[in-house]
Amino acid sequence: MASPPTSELLTARVRMPQHVVHRSFVAETVMLNLHTGQYHGLNPTAGRMLEALNAAPNAAAAVPELAREYGVEPEQIQGDLIALCQGLLERGLIEIVDAGPA
Amino acid sequence: MPAPPEAPAGSAAERTLHGTAFGLRLEIDPELEIPGIGDGADTLEGSDLDAAGTGPAAVDTATTPPSSSLFPPPTRVRLDPRELERRWSRAAHAAEVVRELRDGQRVLLTVELAHPAGYLLHAPGVGRILIAPDGCELLGDPEPGNAEWATLIPAQALPLAATLRGLEVLHASGVVLRGQAVLFAGAPGAGKSSLAAALLYRGAALLSDDTIALQLRHGALVAHPGAALLHLRATEHERLSAREQAVLGPAATFPQKRRHHPCVSASPAPFGGLCLLERAMHGPPVEHLTAVDPFALLASTFNLSVRTPERLVRHLDLAAALAATERIYRVRVQPGVNATQLADAVCERLPES
Repeated sequence: MASPPTSELLTARVRMPQHVVHRSFVAETVMLNLHTGQYHGLNPTAGRMLEALNAAPNAAAAVPELAREYGVEPEQIQGDLIALCQGLLERGLIEIVDAGPA
Repeated sequence: MPAPPEAPAGSAAERTLHGTAFGLRLEIDPELEIPGIGDGADTLEGSDLDAAGTGPAAVDTATTPPSSSLFPPPTRVRLDPRELERRWSRAAHAAEVVRELRDGQRVLLTVELAHPAGYLLHAPGVGRILIAPDGCELLGDPEPGNAEWATLIPAQALPLAATLRGLEVLHASGVVLRGQAVLFAGAPGAGKSSLAAALLYRGAALLSDDTIALQLRHGALVAHPGAALLHLRATEHERLSAREQAVLGPAATFPQKRRHHPCVSASPAPFGGLCLLERAMHGPPVEHLTAVDPFALLASTFNLSVRTPERLVRHLDLAAALAATERIYRVRVQPGVNATQLADAVCERLPES
């Protein structure tokens, strides 16, 4: 599945589809795609980003809090967040439910 | 918890043998002799351990009453090649191979799934077993003259049926030690059975060899006894003293292995720890893992055949529950350290409760 442009991803609301479940472990989050039967591991940072994405109205809104939490520039977090979203979208682990303002 | 058969008399129902294993209540065709289950399979109660002077009772019957953990209705096991063929021939056109075990070019076992017949286990030259999709019925079709075919039942068919009935089965050996289930997972040849055998000599009771049925019940993990069988490599068997061999029960010789019939725990036991065995050159023999690799836990499964969404979620939930116990250990099997010495380290390192 082709990822939308970065600008669209930032303003989009994303969520985990019903066919994806996840469980948190001490040093990893495991996502299970029930359509493919495949398990996917996220490191703690990616797991935290997924949590923030789920809670925020869109990806851009999750950036400031994550930047504060990790003590890095928002631009860096934004880049990492977009890369994570693209990877998860390609694997069918998140979906865009609202593309946001055009 | 294998149990002796009921006295044969009267109707067919009365002649049915009863037993339990892998968390399943079994009704067994009296024509069938299943190794390690039913007739001839000894069980070991906590009081037996005390009487043998081996320390505290190994089975916590107070907290895990056996009857409450078993799933109604029973799983029926019977010989019926004609019925197996009838059901499978109607469904076989849509069969999908969901598992295949090979030794080089030689196929040892295939598992095929076809609705509505179920899962067909086929060991070429040994026999076939059809398992209903709900895990409530097993039909056997042995190859003529193959005395070993019934071993497929405890080794492969019942663990698969247990998975279909809602349990999770690990590729692990396990014992009840100090009232808790201690499990050993690892690659083939890592030493799972040898370590279990060494712990039997220290007063533990066998839960199962190679396959352990686990159940997540009210947030707690419970391990169920399997068959009263334990397979040791011939070299490992010869290393044991006569007293250690005696604890393992009668032995039969198979190519490269000895099959023992030790007493098996009479009851399920609360989870006490999972040891992930690995070959290593250095390091402490037993190490508590604070951050467990979830994929190591997921990979410990015995069953890759059942891929329904419910089962996949249960598999993940069980891995999460195991990790949450904080009772996962790395056990290093090092050159020059035998199973007896490793068993000492396990007894010393694992918590009492």
